[in-house]
Parts: sequence; C-alpha cells; structure tokens
Amino acid sequence: MADLIQLVTNGLALGSVYALAAIGFVIVYSATGVVNFAAGQFVMLGTFAGVTTLVTLGLPMPVGYAGAVALMALFGLLFYAAVYLPLSRSPVVTIIIGTVAIGITLQNAALLTFGSWPVRLTSPVEDMIVEVAGAVIPLHAIAVVVATAVLIGLLWLLLNKTALGIAMRAVAQDVRAAKLMGLRVNVLLAFTWVLAAVLAGIAGLMLGPMWFADVNMGDPIALKAFAATIIGGFGSLPGAIAGGLFVGLAEVLGASYISSAYKDLIAFGAMILFLLVRPQGVFGERIQDRG
Amino acid sequence: MSALQATGITKRFGGLLALSEVDLTVDPGEFVALIGPNGAGKSTLLNVLTGLSAPTTGRIALDGRDITRLSTHDRIRAGLGRTFQHGRLFERLSVIENVMVGAANRKGRSEAELRSTAFAQLRRMGLERFADQPISALTYGNRRMVELTRVLACEPRVLLLDEPAAGLNTGEVEDLMARLRAIRAQDKIAIVLIEHNMGMVMRLAERVVVLNFGVKIAEGTPAEVQADPAVLSAYLGEGAAHARH
Repeated sequence: MADLIQLVTNGLALGSVYALAAIGFVIVYSATGVVNFAAGQFVMLGTFAGVTTLVTLGLPMPVGYAGAVALMALFGLLFYAAVYLPLSRSPVVTIIIGTVAIGITLQNAALLTFGSWPVRLTSPVEDMIVEVAGAVIPLHAIAVVVATAVLIGLLWLLLNKTALGIAMRAVAQDVRAAKLMGLRVNVLLAFTWVLAAVLAGIAGLMLGPMWFADVNMGDPIALKAFAATIIGGFGSLPGAIAGGLFVGLAEVLGASYISSAYKDLIAFGAMILFLLVRPQGVFGERIQDRG
Repeated sequence: MSALQATGITKRFGGLLALSEVDLTVDPGEFVALIGPNGAGKSTLLNVLTGLSAPTTGRIALDGRDITRLSTHDRIRAGLGRTFQHGRLFERLSVIENVMVGAANRKGRSEAELRSTAFAQLRRMGLERFADQPISALTYGNRRMVELTRVLACEPRVLLLDEPAAGLNTGEVEDLMARLRAIRAQDKIAIVLIEHNMGMVMRLAERVVVLNFGVKIAEGTPAEVQADPAVLSAYLGEGAAHARH
C-alpha cells in the first residue's frame, strides 16, 4: 500500500509535467491550427532557463525562477515574431514543418551552449520528504502537483473570466469574425505563443529536479505530451490534463509493476488504441476535422 | 460630411473584374440598400470596405478620415461594423460572451464592464434570457439576432449588414425590420443593407444602390430604382425592360 501511494504520487507529479506541456501544445493548436513539434524543446528550454538563472548565475530562488519564466515569455514572443508570423500566410503544413526545423535547431543550439553532460537542477524543497501511511513521498512531487493544479485554475480563470481570455477563445474559433469584432488578432496570437512557452517553461522547471537537465530531454516529453493530447482529445484542455496525468501514472506504475523496459508500452499502446477506436479522444474533436 | 465614402473602388481577382469603379456614399444615419443579382459584387464590396480584402484601386473614408490602409480591427474601432451572410458566431462561447467580444474593441474595459454592457445590449434586443446559454441552444432566428446584437456592441456608426434576413420566416423578418428601425432611431447609425428580399428593401431603405457584374448600374429612391429599365433588365433579362415599353 505504501508503495502504491508513493508510485501514484510520483506518477501524478510526472503526469502534471506532461499535462502542462500538453496544455501548451493544445492552446497553440486551438488558436492557430499548428501542431507544434518544437513543444518538447520548449520544455527543455524551460529546464535550461532554470539551469542558467539558478545554477550558472546562482541567483536566489525567487529571482531565479521568475527570471527563468521571464526568459521563456521572451522566447515565446520571439518564436511568434521570428517563426510563426513570417510563415503565418503559408499553409499550416508549412508552419508545422517549420516547427520541426526549429525544434532540431533549438536542440542543437542547446547542445552547443550547455554541452552534452547532464546538469542537476535542484528543487527548492530538495531532499525534503513527507510520510503518508508509511509511504515516503518527496515534497517536490507534491509541490509539482499542487503548483500544476494552481496553474490550471489560473488558466481557467484567464480563459473564462477575463476579457483577454474570452478574446483569445474568439480568435481560436474564427480569426475573420474576430477581426470584424475589432480584436487585434496578431497581439492575441502573440500572447497565445507566450502563454504556451511559459507553461512549457514551468513544466521544464518542475521536471529539472525529477530528471537530469539534459539537452535531449525534449523529444521524449514531446512524445508523451502528444500521446496525452491524443488520449484526452486533440484541442481539449480538460483532455490534455486527463491525458497527461494518465500517461504519467502509466509510466511510473508500468515501470514498477511490469518492467521498466516496457514502461512506455501502456501510454503509447493506449494512444494507438485511441487512434484506432476513438480518434477524437476522451473529450475532443477528431484530428482529421481540422486537417 | 459623409459617414462613409468609397470612391472608385476596383477589385480584380486575376482576370475577373469583381468591382469596377464603384462609388458609394452613405450619409450619417442614412439607410442605404445595396442590391443586385447573385455575383454582382455586393459581398466583395463589403469585404473591401471592412479591409478583409484590399481594393486594386480606390479610396475609402470614414467620417472624412482615410481608412483605405487601415487594418480590419482599426476600421472596426474607427466605427465600422459588419455581419456575415452566413452566420459566424463563436460556437464555443456562450451568447453573452459572443456579445462581450463585440464590446471588447473599446479600450480599457474590464470583464465586468464588458459583461454588463453586453447584458444591456441583449436586454435591449429581448435576448437576455439566453445570456448564459451556448450558441447551439438557439433557434436559427435567434442566432441571427445575437449576431446583430454582437455587432451593435461594437458601437458602429456605419453598420454593414450582409443579408440579415436570409433564412428567416415572415414573422422573424417583420421583427428584424422593427429592430433595425428602432436601432437606427436610437443609435443614429447609418445602415448599408445587402438584401434579396425586395419587400424589405422597399420598406426600409431611403436610397437603393444597384450593382450588376461589379458595376453600379443605378442609384436612387426605391421607387426610382424599381422603375429603372437597366435594373429590370439586370434582374429579369433584356426582354423585360422592352416589354414595358
């Protein structure tokens, strides 16, 4: 029982990271129709933004984290202005290929900058543990789950209870009609990319202490976030959350109860099963409806 | 000064001349109908006026200010409003949220202000009981009314309506006409109406502009336009105009 509590907590923590990465992926997809293949690298950059501010520069915790998030916001804006905007009149497929190219570029730029040696990003609650019914749980895992829940709550408030969020949802649904309502579509799309980069960056900051900071961490995360959105439903925020948590739990529980060699089997098996039987996922629309 | 003045608007799509040297002037508070057979260029003209499509040549001024090079959202902020021929409500927003998006173009409004402005607009149109419903719960007639409410929330001084009565039943058309009259009286906004329902055009419009194959072929009061041989032949074929003589 103690084992199970421990594993479920770790699975939820990992799942929270996947869920945040998947949310970043989904808000970009809903607003622009672009499947962002660089999404995994966004998370990797978040981790290394933290490495830069906290390890390399040695800034105090609050400043370091805020600085890393600010760097990611800047990166999102840059990505919008230098990648999305110049390609925005091209067919969506061109933009998607563009994100693949940028993803590869980012990964190699990180390799050149930070080297191939993994770095340790410590948690603010490093080595602290909580005991629940005999189970030993790292406080970091609990903090990650709580922080993710708070972020999701804030995101919900933003999208439903602010003028900015309602305008963002309008742009996501019909750009032309949004323009005719006087909305500054380009500003709102830029903000969408910034938000996606910030969420991915926070996911990276939380993941750093759970894995090593490694410039190759982006791809596995992108695959998991992708699996999460397929299972949860493409374009659906509740789907991204549910899918992310499912993939995280499946990975941790699978590694422990089946075999660590097959830990990804459940998540990717579920993804393939969903694609075959229920391509719209638990909550979402069918992928081919957008095309 | 004219509320809206378009001068020499020409629009080419490759080899097709969709609009040729079209002039359109709308005075403040005036009700102008834009009619013409299918493919005459009416919707293209609205697209050019709202900046969704750039004119090949021509100038557009709103309240005397040149808006030819402004983006769509800046034209809306400057006082232009437009609805689509085929409804384009935001399907995944509630009724009141749709209207809030319309009101959002005015600077510095908080969510609470937007919500109360939108609710007041809905109440004025008798739609307040649908405020929190999803768009999918509305009847077709009410969807069109919500679209009208949404564009009014933009606070336009010149409102361009692209076939607002399409698909409405007789009772709904009467209701729409009453609303348009009331809106015009209260808000003092000029309306440009594209409409195939001639009864509606004749009863509402002070002036009618007729387009055919991208060219303005007639302009005048509803009675003048109805009697114009060029208009009759455009609608009914060459023989019709001669048959009257």
